[in-house]
Amino acid sequence: MRRCRIESLGVSLPRRRLRRWGSVRHAVEAGRRCLAASHYRPGDVEVLVNTGVYRDRHTCEPAMACYIQHRLGINVEFQGRRTASFDLLDGGVGMLSAAQVLAALVASGAASVGMIVASDANSDRQPDPGYTYPASGAAALLDISPRADVGFGGFAFETLSDRADLYTGGVSLAHRRGRVMLRRRAGLEEAFLEAATSAVAAVLERERTLRKDVDFVVPAQISPSFVGRLPAAISFPRHKVLDLTETMADTLSTSLFLALHQALRGGLVEPGKVVLLVACGSGITAGAALYRV
Amino acid sequence: MKVKIESLGVCLPEKAMTTEDLLSCCRRRPRLDLERITGIRERRVAEGKYAVDLAVAAARRALAMSRYRPEELGAIICTSISKHNRPDEFDLEPATAVRIAGAIGASRALAFDVVNACAGMITGIWVLEGLIRAGVVATGMVVSGEHNLPVVWTATREVRHSLDRQLAALTLGDAGAALILDHSEDERVGFHVLDLVTGAKHDHYCTSRPSARGPGGMLLTKARGLQIKGNQHFPAYLKQALDRTGWTLDDVNHLIPHQVSVRAIRKGVQAVEAYLGRELPGIVRCRAERFGNTTSTSHFVVLHELLRTGEAKAGDNLLLVGGASGIVIAHATLTLDDLPERYRAGLDGGR
Repeated sequence: MRRCRIESLGVSLPRRRLRRWGSVRHAVEAGRRCLAASHYRPGDVEVLVNTGVYRDRHTCEPAMACYIQHRLGINVEFQGRRTASFDLLDGGVGMLSAAQVLAALVASGAASVGMIVASDANSDRQPDPGYTYPASGAAALLDISPRADVGFGGFAFETLSDRADLYTGGVSLAHRRGRVMLRRRAGLEEAFLEAATSAVAAVLERERTLRKDVDFVVPAQISPSFVGRLPAAISFPRHKVLDLTETMADTLSTSLFLALHQALRGGLVEPGKVVLLVACGSGITAGAALYRV
Repeated sequence: MKVKIESLGVCLPEKAMTTEDLLSCCRRRPRLDLERITGIRERRVAEGKYAVDLAVAAARRALAMSRYRPEELGAIICTSISKHNRPDEFDLEPATAVRIAGAIGASRALAFDVVNACAGMITGIWVLEGLIRAGVVATGMVVSGEHNLPVVWTATREVRHSLDRQLAALTLGDAGAALILDHSEDERVGFHVLDLVTGAKHDHYCTSRPSARGPGGMLLTKARGLQIKGNQHFPAYLKQALDRTGWTLDDVNHLIPHQVSVRAIRKGVQAVEAYLGRELPGIVRCRAERFGNTTSTSHFVVLHELLRTGEAKAGDNLLLVGGASGIVIAHATLTLDDLPERYRAGLDGGR
């Protein structure tokens, strides 16, 4: 079975800009940086998956991945090499779900190079106060791992669908141009922790990996309280769990990969180390994946 | 390893609305004869039901004819475009697949949404095929519920003239469809080739978003441009899909195009005939005159009709041709197993 690895990462960090950047702009910036750091050219990308949830002008058709593919210049014409683009919506777990899908497509031989992009931005003129995510983008290029021991191991996802109403988001069409409405209800963090605990236990069991063999845990930086309570919930020592919540706000679908990018860039994770990726989002869904750098 | 359609479920709302009725609801009635131009006589409309209800109803029907129980499904992939799951609201979180999984009791399934405009279900099948072939899941469901009525109502309020870009929204209809896929024991049946390509340079032909003029969502289409651009490029991909399968047009029993409109399908057939330099045998299946354009579910609404009426038989070869805004061109070739018999038996049992 062919293993899949992250060949390069690119991010577009949230920051104040004179003109607000939309979701496509952030995704394209992250994508450009990802391609610049990669040894692949844009035309090599066979599958492009966008997992951003909140998008410019609340567009629901075509897939936002088409706009991103166009701006990144990835096989935009119907000639020569081809790219398949689509959106995958799974809230905060989107990038991890997309990684699983791409890993499966790579393993089954349907594709050999794929790219995941994510970005979230609220394009409302007067945003709903419940929407707290700063606009950001992240991109990851995945390909066939050249070494059998490098790349994604197993994935595990846990959905608590009976508690789906703890976190709901959508666009209200009662307003002209639509308006994002995001609702979080009490007990959300407990649900995240419960789902994350099950997902982590499932992936460790599936991969027959002991907690001591995992060198580092990179969680989505949901809140200081969530990241603070996570080590106890998943039975990992606190020093192994990456906490960037002091410097990084929660950015929904990009959060996990922004954190992973910081960890790799800061030298916290060296080659050969085993990383456990943990993401939580609406559903209530949590995802966990083992990755050997 | 091949992946096959183990079960199918389609939910068509009972209420039909004629094009004439719809046009008489328009605030400013366009002067052109929409029925003559599109060939769409009527479409089904779901009143008091929402996208997720249509999807759940279709999913339940698929499960009723399946040998799998809901908790055996490894993945639920929802491919709806129109996620109108509540009045005046468009759902983004949680994924509609989570709601469907909860409703049908698929407690152990991966649940996420794949959105790729009208090629959504074919994209969903492609993704699920990858997951099954990689051994991530053994079986799963691709499901879509399209509740396009809110977009149609916006068009009736906002269409201003005969060249209005919202006019295409008046061709839409509601439907739900669900497929259960698993691996095929027999290498001769199942999906042979699934081909998906996005020509993102043409991403401006068709967009859907909240209206800038008032409440509601709207669909803006440059129908003529989209048709011309699509017809220019899709025949070559169709030929490639046939070649990769090892078929010629004579091997195909049913060609199911995306049901944009009767006229668009006719133009598409002409484009294929011009490209291949031969006439298409009578294999093109069009049901747009009765159901309109049910967006992502359209191929499977037609397949449901073919199975129901006994036109499709075990061992028949199908070619699905998908076109979607983006522009996405999708092709799928498949051979049916004994699904037609099981499906008809299931329908009779259901009655």
